[in-house]
Amino acid sequence: MTAYVVRRLLWLPVLLVIVIFITFVLGTYGPGDPVEVRLGTKANPEAVARLRTQMGLDRPFVVQFADYVGGVVRGDFGDSYRYQGRTVLELILPRMWVSAQLNLAALLLVVAIGIPLGMAAARFQGRWLDPAIVTGIVFISSLPVLITGPLFLLVFVVLLKLVPSAGWGGLFDTRIIIPAVAIAVPGLALIVRVMRTSTLEVLSQDYVRTAYAKGLTPGIISRRHVARNAFLPVLTMLGFSVAGLIGGTIIGETIFGIPGIGRLAFESIFNRDYPVIMGITIIGAATFVLANLLIDVAYTFLDPRIRY
Amino acid sequence: MKTSVRGWLLPVVLSVMVVAAGCLGGSSRSRGTSTPAGPTPGATQPGARPQATATPTPRAASQRASGGTFTRLWADPPTLDPHLTSDTTSAGLVVEIFSGLVALDTDLKIIPDIAERWDVSGGGSVYTFRLRDGVKFQDGKAVKAADIKYSFERVLDPRTESPVADTYMNDIVGAQDKLKGLVREVRGVRVVDERTLEVTIDAPKPYFIAKLTYPTAYVVDRQNVESGPGWTNKPNATGPFKLAEWVPGQRLVLERNQHFYRGVAKLERVHFILSGGVPMTMYENNEIDFTGVGQAELDRVLNPNDPLNKELLRGDPSFDVSYIGFHVGKPPFDDKKVRQAFTLAIDKETIAKEVLSSLVVPAYGVLPPGFPGHNPSISGLRFDPVQAKKLLAESKYGGPEKLPRIIMTVPGTGGTVGLDTEVILEMWKQNLGVTVEVQQTEWATYLQDLNRQRFQMFGGLGWNADYPDPQDFMDILFHSKSFNNHGAYKNLEVDRLLELARVEQDSDKRIKLYQDAEQTVVEDAAWIPLWYTGERFVLIKSYIKGYKLTRLIVPKLKDVSIERP
Repeated sequence: MTAYVVRRLLWLPVLLVIVIFITFVLGTYGPGDPVEVRLGTKANPEAVARLRTQMGLDRPFVVQFADYVGGVVRGDFGDSYRYQGRTVLELILPRMWVSAQLNLAALLLVVAIGIPLGMAAARFQGRWLDPAIVTGIVFISSLPVLITGPLFLLVFVVLLKLVPSAGWGGLFDTRIIIPAVAIAVPGLALIVRVMRTSTLEVLSQDYVRTAYAKGLTPGIISRRHVARNAFLPVLTMLGFSVAGLIGGTIIGETIFGIPGIGRLAFESIFNRDYPVIMGITIIGAATFVLANLLIDVAYTFLDPRIRY
Repeated sequence: MKTSVRGWLLPVVLSVMVVAAGCLGGSSRSRGTSTPAGPTPGATQPGARPQATATPTPRAASQRASGGTFTRLWADPPTLDPHLTSDTTSAGLVVEIFSGLVALDTDLKIIPDIAERWDVSGGGSVYTFRLRDGVKFQDGKAVKAADIKYSFERVLDPRTESPVADTYMNDIVGAQDKLKGLVREVRGVRVVDERTLEVTIDAPKPYFIAKLTYPTAYVVDRQNVESGPGWTNKPNATGPFKLAEWVPGQRLVLERNQHFYRGVAKLERVHFILSGGVPMTMYENNEIDFTGVGQAELDRVLNPNDPLNKELLRGDPSFDVSYIGFHVGKPPFDDKKVRQAFTLAIDKETIAKEVLSSLVVPAYGVLPPGFPGHNPSISGLRFDPVQAKKLLAESKYGGPEKLPRIIMTVPGTGGTVGLDTEVILEMWKQNLGVTVEVQQTEWATYLQDLNRQRFQMFGGLGWNADYPDPQDFMDILFHSKSFNNHGAYKNLEVDRLLELARVEQDSDKRIKLYQDAEQTVVEDAAWIPLWYTGERFVLIKSYIKGYKLTRLIVPKLKDVSIERP
């Protein structure tokens, strides 16, 4: 298994170089120029040319690329173009950490609510509760943050005055509740439905029937046999969610005043802040690879049939 | 469903934009929305004469500071370095932390700041500044003329990478050479003695002193700057406030500077929330003391029965103009009559009133109301659909059927172009029989194409003033050799007027030159001026006193105080 993990990890640098290359090409040859954006409509072509030279943007592509990769290897992701004097890492790392915490809270909510609901829907299949749960969840999940966000603000902040409307206090601060719920809601539908399908499949398996025949209580069957096995497909999906943890939701962050990575990523694209875009892309890609590796390793603990 | 989404999205986006741009201005782009841009740096009479010596503020009164914290929303500034400041988010903070030789007061007059007076000699080309006694950096160190020279040298050093040095400082003799890396010292800046600085400019330009009010000319402390690239996190400056705390993405806190030479601030602290949120909700929830009011909230706030109405503050608009530009070299806009026809076909009054809730004022000229040189009696091209049709028929294209394909490009991200633009398109269709297509490009791409004059017709732009002088509008936009002349407009008579105005010392004659140029530009229909921002609306808590809405970014927080009953 160690060999397996090592082999997977060896692909990481290769993958990252490819990612950097593609993003670099898009940035260098695509429309839009970071200096022109900074100077706006009052740009002076002499100033633009001068700044481009100072920033090293008129060097040949290969030189710029090699320089950048060399820097990344040393842990230097460069300075932001838009935020003068700030390094890329100091801009994105704190924000990624905030987004990670927020998304973790949302993920926990999705798991805590979605899995039991999915199992319940499967248990009550054939009765009214099953379609009721599924339809209800799908409906609620279809509401995007754009709708649920202000709605929650209206109810919990303005009318009930339970928490302040905006701001970030960390994972254990009350202000995280509403944004976490608003962000979790759209993710519920998929988890509930996958869990339900998966549970139904497991319930029809022979070993479950055997367990009932043996006389085990439904509670034990549920926990020891059904849940663990039904959970596996959901785990795969959660793997993607974990990888997306550092991604931010722009709208949620804007409405709730959360200093996450979403808004920065969005703005950086418009501002052509290439170092920041590259930094986010690289860390995002690396996280995705590592998260998937983690999930695959986790499988071996959950499913004894899987060995690497 | 669409209305309710817009109903929520609009106030969020508009309010955040209005707050961020609110009361400040100076950058010249608008993102294709019809939101009024914020106010822009103030206007004074061009060709200001040397001021009398400033009277020292009585110590006793300024010590009676009220204390307290003023909280408002803001956005992360791209920089706090005055020499790199080119946008409103940074400028609004920089003018409170730093200062320079001269400043604009809240009435937008040029006032002595670090300089207590200046004399103009050499036919208008030599400025001799006498520094105030007792000006200190925030750490207590005295400010000398050598510090000003250092600051000017630094901003013109190509290694500083200042995007604005060319625009604001290039009138100084030797400035261009230093920027190009040809010389090591700027010839036109000379330290006469510890408290006297002499600046020589390349021609007797009366608008030079107005340019010095912009952060590009502010003073920085050499030791501070040379301490390393993170110096803007702990600036040692000369302004009314110190930077107490800056957690990027979360908050920025300013603290009163006890050494400020022009009257210590009344407020103890100013707290800027950088992480965002919905402004109106935060205001009503007492999380912030101040917010802009967007179009969606206007009805509620203007209603005299609503408690918010008592906290409403109305202010003069910022100095900007929104317009649609033509490329005079691309058919069909190479024919003046076609351009005029398009201009005459738009009923600006109706759009301003019905679509934009009178938040804007229809524009028939270039210079905004209240700006030096504004001509309130300019005739301009008023709505006249009959004449419009006639002109189109008289043009070399003979009528709407023979026109080539017309595409108007606006900046945007693929959503709606805005109801006002849609109405304009409809008016062209109805009044001229012409169908104009709209193309939306995202901002960076739009800018690149704009700078290379690739557009046939372009909209969604606004132009705001950076300094209070008509040169900032007319010369920069319409001189045939100006690189900001995105429509390739060329009229030799206009060029002549503008060049004369650059060095005309008599301010009345100068204004007349700019107004004549404006008249010609308007008749030539180089642009369709659309609107000026109208009155601005903000909400401010009743315990905040002394806050003024200014039309340009000027330092003003030091006069704000908190009085709780």
